[in-house]
Amino acid sequence: MTAQRATLDGGWTGFRAVSGDDAAASAAAANLISILDTVEVPIVVLRRDLMIAGFNKAAADMLRLSPSDIGRAPRESSVLAGLPRLEEQCSQVIASGLECRADFRDGDRCFVTRITPYPQGDRRVTGVVLTFTNMTAFQACVDQVIYERECTKAILNTIADPLVVLSADQRIHSGNRAFYALFLELASLRAKLKGIFADSRTFQSVKVDQVIPGEGRRTLILDARPLTLPDHSERRVLVTFQDITARKQAKAANDLRTIAERKEELRRNEAFLAEAQRLSLTGSFSWRVTTDEITWSEQLYRIFEFDRGAPLTPELIGSRIHLEDVPSLRGVIEQARSGGTDFECEYRLQMPDESVKHLHMVAHSVRDEDGRLEYIGAVQDVTARRLSEQALGKAQSELAHVTRATALSALTVSIAHEVNQPLSGILTNASTCLRMLAADPPDVEGARETARRTIRDGNRAADVIARVRALFIKKESAIEAVDLNELTREVMALSLGDLQRNRVVLHSELAKDLPAITGDRIQLQQVILNLLRNASDAMADVHDRPRQLLVRTEREAGDRVRVSVRDAGEGVDPQNMDKLLDAFYTTKTDGMGIGLSISRSIIERHHGCLWAQANDGPGATFSFSVPSDPASVPDAAPR
Amino acid sequence: MTDRRSLVSVVDDDESVRESLPQLLRLSGFAAQAFSSAEAFLGSDVVSETSCLLLDIAMPGMSGPDLQQELARRQRKIPIVFITGLADASIRPRLLARGAEECLIKPFSEAALLDAVRAALRRPYSQPSRPT
Repeated sequence: MTAQRATLDGGWTGFRAVSGDDAAASAAAANLISILDTVEVPIVVLRRDLMIAGFNKAAADMLRLSPSDIGRAPRESSVLAGLPRLEEQCSQVIASGLECRADFRDGDRCFVTRITPYPQGDRRVTGVVLTFTNMTAFQACVDQVIYERECTKAILNTIADPLVVLSADQRIHSGNRAFYALFLELASLRAKLKGIFADSRTFQSVKVDQVIPGEGRRTLILDARPLTLPDHSERRVLVTFQDITARKQAKAANDLRTIAERKEELRRNEAFLAEAQRLSLTGSFSWRVTTDEITWSEQLYRIFEFDRGAPLTPELIGSRIHLEDVPSLRGVIEQARSGGTDFECEYRLQMPDESVKHLHMVAHSVRDEDGRLEYIGAVQDVTARRLSEQALGKAQSELAHVTRATALSALTVSIAHEVNQPLSGILTNASTCLRMLAADPPDVEGARETARRTIRDGNRAADVIARVRALFIKKESAIEAVDLNELTREVMALSLGDLQRNRVVLHSELAKDLPAITGDRIQLQQVILNLLRNASDAMADVHDRPRQLLVRTEREAGDRVRVSVRDAGEGVDPQNMDKLLDAFYTTKTDGMGIGLSISRSIIERHHGCLWAQANDGPGATFSFSVPSDPASVPDAAPR
Repeated sequence: MTDRRSLVSVVDDDESVRESLPQLLRLSGFAAQAFSSAEAFLGSDVVSETSCLLLDIAMPGMSGPDLQQELARRQRKIPIVFITGLADASIRPRLLARGAEECLIKPFSEAALLDAVRAALRRPYSQPSRPT
């Protein structure tokens, strides 16, 4: 402190001199000097002649003044020389009596130099007082503020979304570059904002569609929030604009794409369905029972051969229904209408060109949310199937008939033989009879005996004819009790001639306790006939041994009857055994294979089986076995 | 009494033929014998005496034509008249070509039968009538 005081003393020498020797004044001056020395602000007093009159301690420190500088010009001080216009300014102040200011930098410090006339008021100016206010910290603050402001401005200008600060009366206070770029025309927006802010203190996001010149229609989301600063009475509002046009467009595009994709998917599904319906000849329909509203798929129009989209009325549909099927179909429809149950039926269409279509209809009932009955159904064109079934059935029956006819045709020769034998006897006997009666005397007894033989032969011929007639009649399948022994005997009798012609020696072993079976007599006869012919044919090339043929009937366990035909032919290759009975396999050209295959199907229809076996010796045995009571076979009814 | 009747042998597996034909032949002035099979005829003692053979074609075992062949093999020249129930027109010329005298299709008339038998008996190699 002593050092300061010494320095301080040095600074105010001039004042003391000015003050004179008055003791009180001297004390007051000293007092003032102490006060001035406590002031941090450097103070320098210049006389009217601009020489330094005094300075306080802060000035001594900062301006590096010493008491020896008193009475000297400020420019002689190294620091004050940094104020080049100081003397000029001071002169002006002295002349005008008005203070002035000058900026003053000393190194990195800066000051505001205030030049004040002294004394003030109406008294004559005798000098100036220089005060140096250190602005370094303040300037740094200002610089910082400026810097921050520039930063903020740069950031705000970088933001693509427009921002604007509005005054309370919706005047634009400031805005970023994006804002100014966007809103060249502000009048309409301002009106909008006025509306938005008019009566609300709270702000909510607002979506605004705005046509921007050169940009077209944009969709913006406006957000606003109040900017209130402490101790700042002015109310401002920050408004942000979010341009969602692109996002909206992208979403719309995406939605469009999604819709397009769904449409495409739907279209594809529909195409698949239509194609499937076309390929399967199946159309679908719906029928709202209460309103009789009928909807058809494209394929159903095609099946009915109506123009697509033709109004579907019961009358129009009915016009296609085959007359014979109208009553039954009407019955089905009426039942469906009242019953509400699923239905399935077949009916025919009579097309304008007189062709007939067979349709299979299946419908499923559903109820809508109001409980109204609706049928969803499918209609399949089964014409081809029905026609081929019919054709197949016809072909089968024709084939069976042809096979029978073929077999019979082959038998005709032997049948003729069978008939001609007794006929021959009849003729011969009749001739003999006449001769006996013509003798003298007439041999009446001989004639009578001969006549008896004639009758016997006549009956024999009649028997043959009766058997043949039974075979020839193209009878529909008739199920009856059949004695397989009797059947076998009949067939053997018919085949005998044929067999003899082929030099076949026929033996039979017919079981006595054979139960009757239920079946089709003609068909079973045909099977036995086939087997006999087959056996006979198999021995056609046998010359080194008797052509023995054994027909045997026997009772099997489970009340089955077996008929077997054993030949002494070439036999069958075990490898071909199965094949032999498989459809149409034959090594012969006269259709015997067909005979075997038909035989097997006949036997299977009787719920039996037909098989072939190689004999221990030469030849093969063909057998079939059928149940005596087809009802004992599960799920079996004679067809 | 010596009756020189020609022996006509009937070979047929059909019984009514075997019953009726010999009777008619006898009434017509021939001697007649019936056999149910070719084998039976061959095994009999009348082969050499038979002047005419009425022979069935289709028989179990040895057939009519087989018998014809067998007789040829044995150099037994017996005129043969085939009798057959087979209404096959193609058979007759074949049999005739192979040396048969005639082929009668059953049923045949008495006249046709007797004509054929008499024609056969006129064959030079026919067995002479035998005493009965």
